[in-house]
Amino acid sequence: MPRLTDDDRRMLDGEYGAFRQRAMAFNVRYAEVLGAEEMCRVSRATLFIGAQHYLDCYAGDENYEKIFSEFYLCGDGPVALERFADCCKTQTCAAACDFRERERTHVSKERFERNWAYLQATREQGVKIVDSCTPYYVGWIPMMGEHFVSTESSNVVISNSLFGAMGNSDGVEAAVCAAITGRTPKWGMHSGENRFADCLVRLECEAESVYDWDLIGFTIGRMIPKHVVPVLAGEIHGMEINRLRQFCSSISVTSATELCHIVGVTPEARTLEMAVGPKRIEHEAVITRKDCEASLDMICSPGRGAVDFVSVGCPHLALDEIKDIAERLNGRRVKDGVELQIWTDYATRAMADVNGYTRTIEDSGAALLTGSCPVVMREESHAHSKAMAINGAKQAFSIRNQTKAPVYYGDMYRCIDSALSGRWEGSRR
Amino acid sequence: MTVHTIRGRGAVPGKAEGYAVVCPDSIAGNSGALGDVDGVIYEKGNVNYGVSIKDKILVVPCAKGSNGFSAHFKCALIAGVRPAGWVATKVDARLGVALASMNLPAVVDFDGADPIDVIRTGDYVRIDGGTGEVVIEREY
Repeated sequence: MPRLTDDDRRMLDGEYGAFRQRAMAFNVRYAEVLGAEEMCRVSRATLFIGAQHYLDCYAGDENYEKIFSEFYLCGDGPVALERFADCCKTQTCAAACDFRERERTHVSKERFERNWAYLQATREQGVKIVDSCTPYYVGWIPMMGEHFVSTESSNVVISNSLFGAMGNSDGVEAAVCAAITGRTPKWGMHSGENRFADCLVRLECEAESVYDWDLIGFTIGRMIPKHVVPVLAGEIHGMEINRLRQFCSSISVTSATELCHIVGVTPEARTLEMAVGPKRIEHEAVITRKDCEASLDMICSPGRGAVDFVSVGCPHLALDEIKDIAERLNGRRVKDGVELQIWTDYATRAMADVNGYTRTIEDSGAALLTGSCPVVMREESHAHSKAMAINGAKQAFSIRNQTKAPVYYGDMYRCIDSALSGRWEGSRR
Repeated sequence: MTVHTIRGRGAVPGKAEGYAVVCPDSIAGNSGALGDVDGVIYEKGNVNYGVSIKDKILVVPCAKGSNGFSAHFKCALIAGVRPAGWVATKVDARLGVALASMNLPAVVDFDGADPIDVIRTGDYVRIDGGTGEVVIEREY
């Protein structure tokens, strides 16, 4: 049993009601599993919630109170749903579907309506519907040292690494219970002594584009030991938020990394010595161009060929990328019989509307979509595809588990061009 | 038959037994890697691709991939295709949530012998999530 404050104890004993009591009981059990000795206060959260496919075990059962109590609160019998903690700013991660575009995304009416109903119930509990896997683009930014929970793995890595905030890659049950109680076990990345680097990584490969950093993240993740805190050192130029987003996304696919220092870029690594602190470098890795090419072979189907389904926006795109896409598509047409999906969040979409990017993109025959992605929408959204082109190693690698169709992977521009021509002409090596 | 015992930290109390499924590179938490309602591993490249986790002792180094890891295993539990128990070299947050949420016997944090090296898929394994004892029976 972890040490609890008097207030924690009152919550566990039920003085704040059965809803919080159930969530606190989970926090305590989670702390015991981890071996955590105390709890910490959480003030920001993002939740992968709604009619997600992990709730398919409740097919035909519409009792959300029962589902919420059993699945998220991990207890027997339903409890009445109440508000999440006011001290924790909580919003939704990527949703089960775009809540405006059902037919163009091939989502069933049943899923679409159930997702909307679950999100409305969540909103009534005080959780904001944002449906973004890149929440930092629209204001969800934890401060240095602030404790957060997030069910988006790339957001955990970027929040720990870039913002110096403190959070673990835990999971939706823990994130929900933390956001209800404002507490989570003080363990792992929540404790300063666990955040020092013990694995030194040097790059001997190209690192100049979003695509390069996507491949680098995937490659580092598969080449370092499972339980380390890596630090990248050496000549790293031109790092910017979209590259870092892509890197943090793909390193989360092949590893359990929660924090990656980059010397001269991230705040806990102004120098290599600062990143390592009292620890020692126990492991070293050098990432070469050959290693990245091996990763490409793992992610991308071989050869070239026709494509009929192209998805861009894993993780959700920034406004400047949507601008670039609009300029590339301006005056051109997506080939007949090909779907081109561009994914972002609702706030960024609203800004794209104001700037005219949405109209340009839609006039080309592409769809500017919001809040979800094909992997999260699962097979029903892409089962009709005979061959697809995907940007984002996370999306491309994960969707291979859901389809037998060839999955080509490359940078955003190559994917856009394949939608215009209807052909994949090979990946850039 | 040989019998071998290793010890870790009991993370979730209770006893469980079953045939081991050893995943040296874990199982990805990304959507589609584990069949949510059939409990079959569909992760491309996983050495146990096509294997059901139902009633097995899952042996992993840790979790990996998406933070959806726990949710997919929880779905499998509710769908009636849960594993019997877990053995993990070292617990991490993704795996810790799955263990706390599923509340199945689990032994983690091995300082000595690494269960990934010691246990083979098909061994019959008995675990005690209270004492941290893992007994491995192997037929020859």
